[in-house]
Amino acid sequence: MPYPPIALSLPLPCVQGSPDWQRVDFISDVHLEEREASTFDAWVHYMDHTPADAVFILGDLFEVWVGDDTTDTFTAQCTAVLQRTAQRLPVYFMCGNRDFLVGADLLRATGMHGLSDPCVLELGAQRLLLTHGDSLCLDDVDYMTFRAEVRQPAWQQAFLARPLSERQAVARALRTQSETRKHSHTDYADVDAHAARTWLHAAQCQTLIHGHTHRPAQHDLGEHLQRWVLSDWHADTTPARLEVLSWLQHEVHSPTQGLRRWPLHQALAS
Amino acid sequence: MSNPQVELHILDHGVITIELDAEKAPKCTENFLHYVNKGHYDKTIFHRVIPGFMVQGGGFEPGMTQKECDAPIENEANNGLKNNHYTLAMARTSDPHSATAQFFINVADNDFLNHKAPSMQGWGYAVFGKVVSGNDVVDKIAAVKTGRKGFHDDVPKEDVVIEKAVAL
Repeated sequence: MPYPPIALSLPLPCVQGSPDWQRVDFISDVHLEEREASTFDAWVHYMDHTPADAVFILGDLFEVWVGDDTTDTFTAQCTAVLQRTAQRLPVYFMCGNRDFLVGADLLRATGMHGLSDPCVLELGAQRLLLTHGDSLCLDDVDYMTFRAEVRQPAWQQAFLARPLSERQAVARALRTQSETRKHSHTDYADVDAHAARTWLHAAQCQTLIHGHTHRPAQHDLGEHLQRWVLSDWHADTTPARLEVLSWLQHEVHSPTQGLRRWPLHQALAS
Repeated sequence: MSNPQVELHILDHGVITIELDAEKAPKCTENFLHYVNKGHYDKTIFHRVIPGFMVQGGGFEPGMTQKECDAPIENEANNGLKNNHYTLAMARTSDPHSATAQFFINVADNDFLNHKAPSMQGWGYAVFGKVVSGNDVVDKIAAVKTGRKGFHDDVPKEDVVIEKAVAL
């Protein structure tokens, strides 16, 4: 039996895009980690060179995050990239299921704006509903049960109170479990279409943008509702999975209302 | 006639005094006073706290038990009052005219919540009062640590309890 849908609480927070924004980028599921050096390099190149006026990171930028007090060299490198990008243009950050422990300290240190999950982005007359997407994968009952536990204040407080080394060990164990689970499933959980429509109606939006499922696509949900799924990032696969979703003001009258998925090199060349 | 005032006594945080705008928001004012006077808000919590946005309460008891409410009221968001910092507004579902007991205090100027048009999307949220003392208490509530509880996000880790609501 699927997990019961999570009701959308109103009012929803809303980011109002600047009328000056010509282009807005959305990325997610970069899963930054030290051993994926070429994915890290591609991401750094993107952050340093995107011509977008704002970047929205919709969850799982990091493969794992065990607290803002993490001090290793790789984390420091990531933080430095976020910081210099946030000085150049507004960067918005939403937590995903892997980096849900990112907190106010990282936002402060980097100058990024935190986003609630879900939230609305208004770009002119368009209202886009942004979410990481994990809370809409209702068929993944094991995960939803796990999520309900680890997103509890008491669990987080107890976890963050443990020494950093201990938290890193727990994170490694959880990751191994999750990978074993992935191999045993022939089919990944996907976003529940009915739940997506219910959220869109409640938020009075026509477009949902999310990541998490690693199934980049554009879906027509009927009733003029759309669901855009962001790609995960892997530089070492052939072909590389490196993709950006952009909103382009000069294309808002196109059938996709300005949204366009494109490979990273094209997104940077425009 | 002077506007009615209500004190929200927040356990361990302090007192927030709210002035209701009976002239511009008569229905919301009457509705809020009705819930205050029947003791509905006593021992309810601020169950949804999003810093930089708003703090919401009046519908749940500690443990996220939802309280019974009376009939929904008409949305008075077209009264010209704005969702500015430290104003009080009615929460609701996506139906514009569905507010009952839950309210929120804006902790920023939330222009996007204001009335734009008498449509599903444009109705906005009805402001019916403002904090006249205890801004610091509101700031403290907005700064509490939050997380997930059951099917709800942004729930304070430690309950923020309205000990009692008193009409002055």
